[in-house]
Amino acid sequence: MLRQCLAIMRREVFYLWRDRGLRHILLFGSLLGLMLFYAVYSAQVLKDIPTAVFDLDNSAASRELVDKIGKAEYLKLVASTASYDDLRELIKQGKAVVGVVIPENYGRNLALGRQARVLAVIDGSNMIYATNASAALLTVTRTLSAQAGVSALVARGVQLQQAKDAYQAIDISEEAWFNPALNYAYFLVLALALNIWQQCCTLAACLNVIGERGMKSWLQIRACGISKFRFFASKSIAQIFIFMAVVLPLYILGFGALKLPLNCSWAALLLFTLAFAIAVHSIGTLASSFARNAVDAARFGMIIALPSFVLSGYTWPLEAMPVYLQKVAWILPQTWFFQGINYFAFKNAGWNLMAHYILAMLAIAAVCYGAAAVFIARS
Amino acid sequence: METIVAVKDLTQKIGRKTVLDGLTLEVRAGECLGIFGMKGSGKTALLHILAGIDRFTSGKVEVAGIDIRRTEKFKIYLGLVTQERSLFQDLNAAENLDFIAALKNAGRDNIDRLIERLELGEVLNQPVGHMEAGPYQRLALACALLNNPRLLIADELIGAIDLYSRRIILRELETFLAGGGTCIWALSNAEFMRHVHRVGWLEKGKITFYPPAEALTRWNARLQSPAGQGGDGDA
Repeated sequence: MLRQCLAIMRREVFYLWRDRGLRHILLFGSLLGLMLFYAVYSAQVLKDIPTAVFDLDNSAASRELVDKIGKAEYLKLVASTASYDDLRELIKQGKAVVGVVIPENYGRNLALGRQARVLAVIDGSNMIYATNASAALLTVTRTLSAQAGVSALVARGVQLQQAKDAYQAIDISEEAWFNPALNYAYFLVLALALNIWQQCCTLAACLNVIGERGMKSWLQIRACGISKFRFFASKSIAQIFIFMAVVLPLYILGFGALKLPLNCSWAALLLFTLAFAIAVHSIGTLASSFARNAVDAARFGMIIALPSFVLSGYTWPLEAMPVYLQKVAWILPQTWFFQGINYFAFKNAGWNLMAHYILAMLAIAAVCYGAAAVFIARS
Repeated sequence: METIVAVKDLTQKIGRKTVLDGLTLEVRAGECLGIFGMKGSGKTALLHILAGIDRFTSGKVEVAGIDIRRTEKFKIYLGLVTQERSLFQDLNAAENLDFIAALKNAGRDNIDRLIERLELGEVLNQPVGHMEAGPYQRLALACALLNNPRLLIADELIGAIDLYSRRIILRELETFLAGGGTCIWALSNAEFMRHVHRVGWLEKGKITFYPPAEALTRWNARLQSPAGQGGDGDA
């Protein structure tokens, strides 16, 4: 029996290795993805957000505001426009993402201690840009607003220190844990590369059964009398081994060379990944077991693998999704994996939580393999 | 003589078409039964049922005394050469022998013996997908014989192949039968009837048995009659 299993595993490895296209996709697809995504997010944070100003007041106070905007850490003053329409055109053409409109009497209102209004326009067509621009602008306006408030209190006879204390009654200090610089590369690069990996694995697993049954050599296998369970179990072990062999260089490159944060142990990470590889393989095998042909199986694989990353809640919180969609998401092993990889790689959330995630993925695998076994036995 | 294959009232329906209609046959140890018929007559369907590849609609089939619907254990006594190229295309000749030997739990000593007997030494490193028809068929027979089967099921064992390979294959078949092996050989070329002990003529789902000489005479007569028709181009 062992000889049979080993022969099937060896042949499976050879089969995948000799298929040049599949080999290249499995070996280099996710590695290239990692390098590419790392290059894309190499800036790590968005700086120099192009900002244009339309100053209707042209007073000393408004010029000071423009100056502060120009010196803000994440904003870059690119233009000062002569009209509101010019400002709109700049934003339309993508030359500015932020537009600041300073109204007439801005300086006078400040001097009189009245409320001064400033319009900040943000290009919302690119959410990533817009969110960062909004945060950067808020930092500037909050400081200016506080300064104006202190000045107004002083003008009404309040002592300078008292006025400052009034504006600093609550001192909120912000700390970003686990990713102090709010580094986009840390958050996204590995997840995006792992997404490519899991898609490749799902597609490869989708050929597990139908790929074999669709070939003429299936006649030899059937005539040999080897049990389908033993045959596909051996094939599956080889495929999962290959999936792990493919993800290993990805992890070494990501955590070793590119210094992405890894706070849990390597053993725990690999165990967690192995559980996911098994679960993803089981889904592919299930699709493969009822597909009519390899093309059908590949379609099923695409339908599962492509949206699963979006559904996993990695790029948009699960809690913000409709309840029915959350329930669907938790059926997918991708959700457990991409949620978990954040907990364990970033935060080392502990064995208890990891065991929970691993068990969930293995339970999904058990259900999918069980269903696949029924389909295979009936075929 | 021991009965190796016993088929009773075998019916196979595919969709609405009745491919095999209540077939009954017995094959004894050491016998070579030729299943002759035209294209679409159900030869391959019958062989695939006997090899346990396809299920069947009704009837009873026993191989080596084992009811093939109950268990697949009869497959340890089986060797199969298919009509289509069913060896593993991703492996070369030597790897196919190794792999199929492992699948059949067959000893490795048989591999060397069969390589020698079927003169496969020069093609061992060739990818199966690129092999010529003659060497391929010799390899397919070698793979079928790896487990020293009691029953060899061969679908078009000899097609359009070189004479050298044909001679080797026929020699090996004779040796196999002489050693007590049993063969069921589906053939569409009447020329090969003289190599079998009995011909089962399969037509419209029914089988009729003839001695080879009589089957050949009937075939020639049919060819010469105005309503005569050829089968598979050869028959």
